[in-house]
Amino acid sequence: MSANRPFARLLSGVAVAALAMALSAPAQSQKKGGTLVMLVQPEPPTLASYASTSAPVGQITAKIFDGLAEYDFNLKPVPSLAESWTVSPDGKTITFKLRRDVKFHDGKPFTSADVKFSVLDVLVKAHPRGASTFREVRAIDTPDPHTAIFRLENPAPYLMMALSGYESPMLPQHVYGAGDIKSHPNANRPIGTGPFKFVEWQKGQYVRMDRNPDYWKKDRPYLDRIVARFVSDSATRTASIERGEANAAGMGAIYYSDVRRLEKLPAIDVTTKGYEMSSPVVELIFNTQAKPFDDVRVRQAVSYAIDRQWIIDNVWFGFGKPATGPINSNFAASGIYTDAVKRYQVPNGVEIANRLLDEAGYKRGPNGVRFEITHDITPYGEEWRRFGEYVQQALDKVGIKATLRYEDVGGWLRRVYTTYDFQLSSNWLQNLADPAIGVHRAFHSKSIRSGTVFVNASRWSDPKADALMDRASLEIDPAKRAALYHELQKIVVEAAPNVWTHELLFSTVHAKRVKNLATSPLGVFSSYDQVYIDN
Amino acid sequence: MSLAAQRTRYVLRRLLQAVPILLAIVVINFLLLQLAEGDAADVLAGEAGSATPEYMAALRAKFGLDQPLALQLLAYAKNAALLDLGYSFRHDTAVATLIAGRLGPTLLLMLSAMAIALVVGTLLGVLAATGLNTWRDNVITVLALVAYATPLFWIGLMLIVVFSINAGWFPVSGMENVAAFHSGWDRVVDVARHLVLPAITLSLFYLALYARLMRASMLEQSGMDYVTTARAKGLTETRITARHVVRNALLPVVTMAGVQMGNLVGGSVVVESVFGWPGLGLLAFESLFARDLNLLMGIFLLSACLVVVVNLVVDIVYALLDPRIELR
Repeated sequence: MSANRPFARLLSGVAVAALAMALSAPAQSQKKGGTLVMLVQPEPPTLASYASTSAPVGQITAKIFDGLAEYDFNLKPVPSLAESWTVSPDGKTITFKLRRDVKFHDGKPFTSADVKFSVLDVLVKAHPRGASTFREVRAIDTPDPHTAIFRLENPAPYLMMALSGYESPMLPQHVYGAGDIKSHPNANRPIGTGPFKFVEWQKGQYVRMDRNPDYWKKDRPYLDRIVARFVSDSATRTASIERGEANAAGMGAIYYSDVRRLEKLPAIDVTTKGYEMSSPVVELIFNTQAKPFDDVRVRQAVSYAIDRQWIIDNVWFGFGKPATGPINSNFAASGIYTDAVKRYQVPNGVEIANRLLDEAGYKRGPNGVRFEITHDITPYGEEWRRFGEYVQQALDKVGIKATLRYEDVGGWLRRVYTTYDFQLSSNWLQNLADPAIGVHRAFHSKSIRSGTVFVNASRWSDPKADALMDRASLEIDPAKRAALYHELQKIVVEAAPNVWTHELLFSTVHAKRVKNLATSPLGVFSSYDQVYIDN
Repeated sequence: MSLAAQRTRYVLRRLLQAVPILLAIVVINFLLLQLAEGDAADVLAGEAGSATPEYMAALRAKFGLDQPLALQLLAYAKNAALLDLGYSFRHDTAVATLIAGRLGPTLLLMLSAMAIALVVGTLLGVLAATGLNTWRDNVITVLALVAYATPLFWIGLMLIVVFSINAGWFPVSGMENVAAFHSGWDRVVDVARHLVLPAITLSLFYLALYARLMRASMLEQSGMDYVTTARAKGLTETRITARHVVRNALLPVVTMAGVQMGNLVGGSVVVESVFGWPGLGLLAFESLFARDLNLLMGIFLLSACLVVVVNLVVDIVYALLDPRIELR
């Protein structure tokens, strides 16, 4: 059991250090007041972030709800509503000590009962991935109002990575406890403990949030108000930033081509910081259960035929980094990522691809074509369409004739994740806070679930890979866990159920005078309590 | 039977006839929308980025999507008959509330655009017709053609570039300044400033249409016998144009405008999208892609009702204008 101790000690040590840092941060340079107008695209369907992880929802609700922890740029948890925590040596008990000075926006105090309610009655039942994040939580004991003890069936190291106000918001039981949580009257009138209070949502226009004067962090937030604006036309969004009507836009709200133009303007800054906890990897998905992509040689050939750097430079305007596998290199910090895998980005890729296809028995016909496929373009906008067009051209070079098909989101999701009526498509896999949450779903045999989106659509599976993922879920020794993931990456990359083209870099475009937008790896999904406007 | 009684009977009959039409529209809309692949749960979960199978099943059960199609249709038709437009699960709000919130901005934009189009359009038409084949006529005709043929989104973006970004006279988008949250008269002025560019953009299309229609209609009328008579009486050309020709030439323009009033609640997806105007068109557009069928059918039903009512009103107005038309 002694091997488990360093993990627990590390966690509490980091917690103390971060607390000390937070307390000593200088406050005199930040100016108080002002309104931040941020563009959020598209308009969220709801503000119930405990029941929807849709990206625009979290960008708003993270200002209203706090979580038990926040995260630093090393992807380590630091205190928030929980001022400290200890993990038992066997990893099966996590004790959270809660702050005593926290009040909800309606004035009622935040207690351990709210933690228990939020996790067991809300997140597990209504959150799209809550059931899997908290699957090992057997019970939560609340010996006093400021202590919450999570009792786990098995160790769950990834759980500590899912405690932010974006991923696991803490809700007031006295509000959300009454009635059905899935259609709660407060779904669109959220009440939390966060730095900003919800004021109103004018559908089609904006959500307004005002400063919470009783916020538990002294002298925070700096802003008087945050307004999230919704503008559906991309050119108009760019114009709003240019004219200064809006001060910030993240998560692809401004098209990449426009970002390159705006960043040259004197009053505007662009940062790619603040997306370290979503860690997206763009991928091509094969249907491995049907010809021709049931053959690993054919899949590898496609992977060899794709020029990753070309895609980054020409389709995503430089906002990317070549990927080596399904796990994003952001996880290099925790040792989980490795690039010691089969490499497909090689100078003679087209040559190898042609040879592999010959070996697989797909000889070129008289017109130079080996076989024809349909490539389903991801309907997420301009760059995805161009990505599809590039894939078409790259495949043409190795004798595969691809026809592009474009449907809307609903139709495409149904085709790829429910009826599997596709051969090749694309998407992006968000690694999220931990591979156990973000990556396993794409390759585990248990994730082949028709009708569930963003899981294992290629329907590739391998007992060895399954076993590695199952062990990594429970392993609490960081070094051993990293080794398991290195092994997993080798197997998956070799089998090539997907082509991993690049790690997507999102950008936040903002007025220069808006400061501190990216103080956490959660970026636009963080609380913005430190954001201020410098006049 | 007196004329008044006859007209009342006519209106009642027309309204009764509208009931099966609306019912048919509900059923056809419902069935047409079922042809779209994917459902609201797919889209919601797709936006969420991840979901467990249990979550998806729970969503479908909540939306009623697990019921047989016939039962879903029956339930919807029954509720619609009771004026209950249902619930948008995507927005977690009643459909009627959502539509009501967007109706005001839509009407404001559409009525302003219509007013500009009617006034300026007929004026240009008259100017063109009275200066037939002169430079004035040529300029107006060419401009009308260009305005008619240019895509609205392009006009909108160019107006933004010129008047918002470069000149800084008008705001880029939205219906009001969300950093300031004005109230009272300040708010009225603020909304008016935001209205200028979208209203002009949207009016250009109709304006061109009315200008061309008015010009043609003026030319047709000026060849009529009554104009010759007026001229023989010794009236001045100005007086003939103002008193006789324009008034008669206006009729087809008014008819056309009346028909286009039916488009009012539909809004304009393009203009609303470019200017971030919170109208119904955009709501309908978004709900189609979100497979929010309750909301979409609610908007369709409202539009259908409006078309029925406007048609009826136009028929009645005809009878009032021209006594030769009988209502029966």
